[in-house]
Amino acid sequence: MVDSRLDPRTLAYIQTLAQAANMDNDWKTALDKLLLALRAEFVYDNVAIYVTKGNEQFMEVAYARAIGRGKSAEADVAWGEGIASQVIARESIVIQDPATNANDRLGQAYLLGLPLYNGSEILGAIVFVRFGGPVYEEGQITLALICAAWVATLLLRRIYLETTQRLKALQQKVQLQDDFVATISHELRTPLGFIKGYSTTLLRNDTSWDAETTKEFLTIIDEETDRLAQLIENILESAKLQSRSVQLHIQPLRLEALIRDIVSRVRIRQPNVDIELHLEPLPPIQGDTVRLAQVFDNLFSNALKYAAGAKITITAQKQGDTVLVTFADQGPGIPAIHLPNIFERFYRVPIENSKTGSGLGLYICNQVIMAHHGKIWVDSKINQGTTFYIQLPVNLHA
Amino acid sequence: MSKRILIVDDEPRYLRLLEANLRTEGYEVAAAQDGIQAIDIFSSQPIDLILLDIMMPRLDGFATCQRIREYSTVPIIMLTAKGEEQDRVRGLDLGADDYLVKPFSATELLARVRAVLRRSQLPAPSGQARFFTHDDLKIDFARAEVWVKEQAVSLSATEYRLLLQFVHNVGKILTAEDLLTSIWGPEYKTEKEILWVSIARLRQKLEPDPHAPKYIVTRSGLGYLMPPSES
Repeated sequence: MVDSRLDPRTLAYIQTLAQAANMDNDWKTALDKLLLALRAEFVYDNVAIYVTKGNEQFMEVAYARAIGRGKSAEADVAWGEGIASQVIARESIVIQDPATNANDRLGQAYLLGLPLYNGSEILGAIVFVRFGGPVYEEGQITLALICAAWVATLLLRRIYLETTQRLKALQQKVQLQDDFVATISHELRTPLGFIKGYSTTLLRNDTSWDAETTKEFLTIIDEETDRLAQLIENILESAKLQSRSVQLHIQPLRLEALIRDIVSRVRIRQPNVDIELHLEPLPPIQGDTVRLAQVFDNLFSNALKYAAGAKITITAQKQGDTVLVTFADQGPGIPAIHLPNIFERFYRVPIENSKTGSGLGLYICNQVIMAHHGKIWVDSKINQGTTFYIQLPVNLHA
Repeated sequence: MSKRILIVDDEPRYLRLLEANLRTEGYEVAAAQDGIQAIDIFSSQPIDLILLDIMMPRLDGFATCQRIREYSTVPIIMLTAKGEEQDRVRGLDLGADDYLVKPFSATELLARVRAVLRRSQLPAPSGQARFFTHDDLKIDFARAEVWVKEQAVSLSATEYRLLLQFVHNVGKILTAEDLLTSIWGPEYKTEKEILWVSIARLRQKLEPDPHAPKYIVTRSGLGYLMPPSES
């Protein structure tokens, strides 16, 4: 170190290290490359990185690698813990040479621990081990310090990435909730608008309506009140399902009878809807009548909304210890990119401009079927239609 | 002759509600389920007023309003489902004359329709001078025509009435309440957004620099006035 000019070989080496540390976006791959490149001038057998967790009392292994001798020790990183906590507590380099009288060469661990900083705050420690020596020389320790600075940067990159990801997920959640509030207020206002409009129409003092028109308007008010009630029911139900405070009232029930029942209710409300049933005789299953009815109500309400006028086919059959119900419409179908998400709370398939749902219906269906230890899934083809499959165990506790 | 009203909404139940109430008042009604249909009907028969919903498939209410405003000053009332301020202002910005927030009552609906139709009548010439000039602005009261720098300007009936208020009160400050009461009606006294948007639209059409207006000047905290002509 007498010559003041920089040694080109050392420079090239440091550049290799820096490149290894910075080339890759993935912090773990970058660490691999950096620590491997380091071995060209700084030989070690194992390396482990410990990071402080919350307060400095707790450490976590962020990275461990056995490269040279003692590879079997890879999984066991306990060898570094003692020295790492000393480094963190003292915020300084710690060197530990083995007890001189040890016989087992692999037992003779020469340890070097270096602090990792984020500014003036200690992030953790990096610990190198050489089994059976040699001791760490001053120049090597300097090299390890340079390396430690890059390691700290990579750890910060990891923290940054993880934080960004968490924030993005949170942001998405908040966005879904915002959208939900906007949609739900629109959905609530629609039936409310009819109720308000038609009732004030009937209440007008300056005109009178004939019996037929009066009945027509009252029927609309009645139906829109039901629609509002169902929507509110869905909102409350989804909140309950979300907090997992839902209690099923399990009793033996005949699913095909339940389906027939709902179909006849739908036919009263929508006499023109084309529904085809293929229901095999099924064994009675264990289930909650009200909640399962809700599932089919929601499927119908979706089909009538998004596949208006299209034929609906429902089948039910026994399959081993389960019953399988299919609910198919011949509507416009759901674009494939939305299929993985449609059972998520608040998720809505964007339909051009006007018709929107609350993003609750299918979420409720999924939660109810899962509470019955069953499965619900979907299959959809553009311009051909959408089929929902519901599989329920015959015996709930089998 | 009875007025003909075009109602536009994708919900059949709103169409039925509007139509039933409007007919009792002697209006004729034409109905459309989306913006495209509305424009078709509007261009094929005389229409005195449009009731226009916002959320519709194909062409929504905003776009429909914008298209119709390209060639017509027919009075338009927007039906805003959300009742949010930004929607109302956007509708007015695009040239709507008024809005009705869902849910609304039948009497509210009829009152708004009456008010907007009343405003859409051009005021009778006052019988004094036929022309008014103020720098580059010229008005022919007899024909209800307005020019800026010899260019004819197309104003809606409401904008024309608003302009006349200033013209008849040159040099006098008019408060927002005065203007809303005299042009829109006493029930609009507090709806300042409507006035702001209308003033902005009027400036857009008349002023050489709408951001530094010379015909309709704001007196902060007091109101608006048309200063006396410089020439």
